[in-house]
Amino acid sequence: MAYDVSNPHEGEFDLGRVGPLVPVWIATLRVVVGWWFFHAGVTKLIESGLNFTAGPSYLQGMGDTVLGPLAVWMGTAIPGVIGAIVPLAETLIGLALIAGALVRLASLGGAIFMAFFWVGNAEFGHGVVNGDLMGLLLFVTLLVLGAGRYYGLDAVLERLALVENHPRLRHLLG
Amino acid sequence: MTNTIDKAAMALSSALLLAGIVVLGLVEILDGVPYGAAPTTNEAGEVIAQPGIDPAVRTGLVLAGLAILGLWGLYRVAVPATGVDRRTTTDATTGSQ
Repeated sequence: MAYDVSNPHEGEFDLGRVGPLVPVWIATLRVVVGWWFFHAGVTKLIESGLNFTAGPSYLQGMGDTVLGPLAVWMGTAIPGVIGAIVPLAETLIGLALIAGALVRLASLGGAIFMAFFWVGNAEFGHGVVNGDLMGLLLFVTLLVLGAGRYYGLDAVLERLALVENHPRLRHLLG
Repeated sequence: MTNTIDKAAMALSSALLLAGIVVLGLVEILDGVPYGAAPTTNEAGEVIAQPGIDPAVRTGLVLAGLAILGLWGLYRVAVPATGVDRRTTTDATTGSQ
């Protein structure tokens, strides 16, 4: 996640010696995760538009969880915002990951979504490590790796003059 | 280049993640049925055994670990790392530029 201004082209975690498959695999993983969220979001948009009423209800039911106070507040105080933001954000996060643009920002958003799903679904019959946690960790992994740089638009975006002049913007890119 | 804050943040984040998932997972197994983090029910659907550790504790530890990682990221946005260019350093030590 950290960006070294003295050495913008080489991080401390160097993938260069582990073979040509790694960048391809990272990009593939990113696109698959992107499709996962894009599908979830766009089908909600088709079915409910920007009024996904299950979202606020879901949050209101999280009272007994570790995210309870925040989730219940979000579900009761701003249900209209939640109903719109869930399908919209899922769709945009998915598109961003597929295109490889603003991947770190999108992955942060995806990780926040998955944190609510992991805690809210609470399907821990086989332990706390379940599909939702794996999804959460996938987003964190894409964020840590800066996955948009591999066959993604972030590799182009980070060469723009705007980004060159404002290096901190790279924290939002892959 | 990593400084003390970097190392502390990464160590604490990893420790909390592993504590919530692995360490307390082992405790849960040693505590007996249920071995997972959900209650055990009989055929009638009645709860016959509760997990030894509240899942909220375990999920809370994991999310706290990830939150620390996120806060460290914000810190690094505000205070960018100022390490040396390793490629240049290596070239310099071998005499080639």
